[in-house]
Amino acid sequence: MTSLFTEHLITSLITVPFAGIVALLFVRGDVWVRRVAMGVSLLALGLSTALWWRFDPSIEGMQFVERTSWMENFNIQYAVGVDGISLVLVLLTTLLGPLCVLASWTSIASKVKAYMVLILLVEGAMIVVFTALDLFLFFMLWEVTMIPMYFMIILWGGPGRIQAGIKFVLYSLTGSLLMLVGILALYLQTGRSFDIQAMVGHAIPEDVQIWIFSFMFLGFAIKLPMVPFHSWLPDAHSEAPTAGSVILAGVLLKMGGYGFLRICLPILPEASVEFAPFILWLSIVGIIYGGCLALAQSDLKKLVAYSSISHMGFVTLGIFAFNEQGIEGAVIQMFAHGMSTGALFLAIGFLYDRTHTRMIADYGGLQKPMPRFVVLLSIFAMASFGLPGMGNFTGEFLVLLGTSFGGMLKVLLAMSGIVLAAAYMLWMLQRVVLGQPRASLESLPDLNAREIATLVPLVVGVFVVGLIPATLTTKLDSTVKNLLDRSPAIVQSASAPGE
Amino acid sequence: MPIFALIPGLPLAAFVILAVAGRRFGDASHRVGIPAVGLSFALSIAALAEVARNGALSIPLYRFLDVGELVVTVGLYADQLTVLLLPLITGVSFVVHVYSARYMTGDPRYRKFFAVIGLFTFAMTMLVMSDNLLVTYMCWEVMGICSYLLISHWAHRREAGQAATKAFLVNAVADVGLGFGVVLTFATYGTFNIQEILAQAPAMQGQTLGAFGFEIERNTLIALCLLSGAIGKSAQVPMHVWLPYAMEAPTPVSALIHAATMVNAGPFLLARLSPLVLLAPSAMAAIAVVGAITALYGALVSLTQSDIKRLLAYSTISQIGFMIFACGVGAFGAAIFHLLAHGFLKAYLFLSTGDSLWATGGHAHADAAPGRIRPLAAGSLLLACVPPLVLFSGPYEQLWNSQHVPSARIAFWVVALAAVFLTAVYAFRGVVSLFGATVGKSVQARPSLFSAAHLPGLAVCGIAVTALLAGVWSGFSEFLQPALGALPAETADASLTVALAVSLAVAILGWCFAYYCHLRPAAVPFARREWVKTAYVLFLNKLYFDEIHRAVAVNPALRISRWLLHQLEERIINRTVHEVGAGVREGARVLEGSAESGVIDPAVTGVARLVTGTAAWLERLAESGLVTRGPRVATNLLVRVSGWLFRVVDKPVTEETVPRVGGLADNTGETLQRIGPRTLRHHLVIIVCWLSLAIGLTYLLAN
Repeated sequence: MTSLFTEHLITSLITVPFAGIVALLFVRGDVWVRRVAMGVSLLALGLSTALWWRFDPSIEGMQFVERTSWMENFNIQYAVGVDGISLVLVLLTTLLGPLCVLASWTSIASKVKAYMVLILLVEGAMIVVFTALDLFLFFMLWEVTMIPMYFMIILWGGPGRIQAGIKFVLYSLTGSLLMLVGILALYLQTGRSFDIQAMVGHAIPEDVQIWIFSFMFLGFAIKLPMVPFHSWLPDAHSEAPTAGSVILAGVLLKMGGYGFLRICLPILPEASVEFAPFILWLSIVGIIYGGCLALAQSDLKKLVAYSSISHMGFVTLGIFAFNEQGIEGAVIQMFAHGMSTGALFLAIGFLYDRTHTRMIADYGGLQKPMPRFVVLLSIFAMASFGLPGMGNFTGEFLVLLGTSFGGMLKVLLAMSGIVLAAAYMLWMLQRVVLGQPRASLESLPDLNAREIATLVPLVVGVFVVGLIPATLTTKLDSTVKNLLDRSPAIVQSASAPGE
Repeated sequence: MPIFALIPGLPLAAFVILAVAGRRFGDASHRVGIPAVGLSFALSIAALAEVARNGALSIPLYRFLDVGELVVTVGLYADQLTVLLLPLITGVSFVVHVYSARYMTGDPRYRKFFAVIGLFTFAMTMLVMSDNLLVTYMCWEVMGICSYLLISHWAHRREAGQAATKAFLVNAVADVGLGFGVVLTFATYGTFNIQEILAQAPAMQGQTLGAFGFEIERNTLIALCLLSGAIGKSAQVPMHVWLPYAMEAPTPVSALIHAATMVNAGPFLLARLSPLVLLAPSAMAAIAVVGAITALYGALVSLTQSDIKRLLAYSTISQIGFMIFACGVGAFGAAIFHLLAHGFLKAYLFLSTGDSLWATGGHAHADAAPGRIRPLAAGSLLLACVPPLVLFSGPYEQLWNSQHVPSARIAFWVVALAAVFLTAVYAFRGVVSLFGATVGKSVQARPSLFSAAHLPGLAVCGIAVTALLAGVWSGFSEFLQPALGALPAETADASLTVALAVSLAVAILGWCFAYYCHLRPAAVPFARREWVKTAYVLFLNKLYFDEIHRAVAVNPALRISRWLLHQLEERIINRTVHEVGAGVREGARVLEGSAESGVIDPAVTGVARLVTGTAAWLERLAESGLVTRGPRVATNLLVRVSGWLFRVVDKPVTEETVPRVGGLADNTGETLQRIGPRTLRHHLVIIVCWLSLAIGLTYLLAN
């Protein structure tokens, strides 16, 4: 039993959410639906923690690999495995899962079962995306993530939910269809195989690489999102229900960054180098543009949504710096951003449950009626603008160090994005938290134990990544080193430090 | 001596205890903070003794980051510079803790207050003890957030929130420079370790960095970045605007910010990296200019302020400017000396002011304050005269000569003496107008916080420390020598006496002038001139820096953001998405038109119609106003389908099937009962049952 479990750890992890969905169909009563969903997501978290402990950071390449033939005619496999990057993102996914269930405990009153099924579905699909070693599997589950998100938005969303949902689906479909073209081209170029590991090191002519890269890039850039492909995000984030926003901002966006790291860099190294300057500058535009727009928002959720665009700019900035600092910084930034922004959406969701408004102007002086909420909100706002000691700082700083080898001007511009982050977050805090409370807000109840329990794990996570980043970097080191070593084109393009 | 790790460790522990498990302490939170910081102070003194005896010591703590070539080990490094600052920081913090325990009594956020000042103390001690530029930068930022939390402590006040946001953002802008410097340092030296950087610095002379066709020396750029950080944290012109507003914080916090933490970070950082700064003459010139401007500006504005806390704030700006100026002319030792003396004095001034204000019950305008003149006057006297004098005793001539800027000499004398003069004037004016003129007014005084026994004690303490330092200046500079940049070693004794005499004379002149103006305001010859009035108005409004910041930075940033949102985001990016839909439809319509004219096969027409229809539908979906029918129908359908699914899966399976099966079983049992035992039919039924079971089992096993 133990050996079976160890050998199929990833498959068990994948099975848990899907088995949970089946189980949920037979559960009656909202109370038990919630409990079962919670149990299932906690079990998934337990399994991914087991994966985390059993992962051997000294091994380069994939671990816990499982392969079974699936559709032999097309050479499609069920192949999963993790390296450091996958591991971090799987942990993030399973960490946010139970928190989403917990956050929806009372705020979702209608169609509870359907809602929980959708949460588990998207969680399971994302685990597969982050562990798939077969491009077909990767693409299929990439598509699957879209469906539950769509229903979450249009069924439980805010007033503009229909339009937001349609926009989200149209954008995502466009992106993934372009990506599909890229995947098929890769399939044909690499001897009719979807095996990601076999594709690495397959010499693809550079002009072909550039074509494939452009298709892949569009797919990932829409998901991430990079300016100017971002306009689905503010609508989707702000109209989605709390758990939807958390999943979107927390994990779904990271699929884009993951795609760059898993497909573009290893399989299309020459094209990556070719495109790097363009992507770097686009990232910087995104950092500043997202920050500026966040400053102009009057809606709490939109503010956080635009801040996501700004923060995700650091991810691409780090990835295309092509050095260990940059890439590890990008992964840490993804992890930290998932926690801090997820937490901000959770906190705003709790506030919305009480007041049913998202407008900043409707708030003020919350420190008096809701001191505990204010402490937690402030912590996450500060994490979000990269206060040292919290996770985002580690990520952003590593990214900046990585970028510095390629030119100091980019560093300076990206840093101004951090100032913008401080500006919009503190201004938001000033308008929402400080001052004299309005009469209508005087009697708001503070967070209850369940809501605090939802946020506290993220506080701990943000501080652990900020103060002991070695917890993440030790898992990432050999993976990233391996990634760079196997792409000589990339290493050559990045100048060594100190030059 | 690993025990010295407790110097920052204890305040941090106090913060963590209060933040995480502090609810049970409540109004007794000071019982956590006071012992921790007190012990930390004792250890600081021990560290001073230790370093004086055995030289610099370093304590490695833990490996913070390890990514590729980047290895960051957090460690403590205590040299002569560090151990001189530690007693100031922990000592003032200790006094502030004790003082706040009574000053803040009854505050609803008593625990939070003590937690944050603990963190503040930790950040500053860690800043001076860090052996690593990255950790220094992190502490630098943490101090910023502590000041934010403390300034917004009385959060119900609108001004407090605004002041806090302003303080943090002004610092954040300046810190971009510092952060850039930290990254640049790593890119240049490949390490964050300060001692390694300083060791390598001379070898890096001449390394340049190009941008936009300009070539700038890396060391110079790093030094300028350090200056940028100092401009923010130490409130130098033009980033000084946050400090006066920081007065929204409870008064003990002002003592902490002005004396022990925050503003001292700038001169400290420049002194810490002095060997590198000395390699960049043009950066030093910039530092000196910024410092000189700030010193004069702060003093002139102080002359016009009537709120005692504001006056003290501008006096801090001026004095810190003086220190930065000293750093700029190469007098790092004098800057640190002034920093220490000023720190103790300002702490004392703020606490005694807080005492007076507390007694009168608020944030009073000057004229309402009662007389508690002696301690403040004594403090002011010291403030005006003693510390700056040291500046005139340094051997900077050789430095200037070696850097080919002997003209610095003239600027130095003019600016420094002017600053001393103005300091004397405003200090006297402040004392007299605050406490001298209106003693008679009867104000219902509340009981004093510090009993009379405490104040002189504190005063004596301050004076004693200052006098002690003044007395041992030469010993002091000798002690500090190993920690600072290589300055010419020998002191010019002859010029020292002359310089001291001259500067003392200037200070006394300032006092006399102020006294004369005070006695006979009408007799001052130029008081009624137009330009004097203009200047007065200008300085009263602090040269309109707040308004300039608003007009140059804040408003444009907001306006650009809103413009981007309305024009670019909504009009261009969002509309493009819609336009694409419309474009597809238009293209299809053209196709359809050409098809109808008979050029293309009618089959294409069908396809085109289809495309047109789809595109029109797509467009209708994308257009916000029209997104109604299709999706809603789809949604309804989906809702209905999912509802149906649940009904089918839920009800028939679990609700209807189960009873039906149960009913079936029930019937069988009933039949069996009715048949009665031991009849033929009874046996037959049993045989059939067994047979079917056996067949079923065989079938299962066979497969």
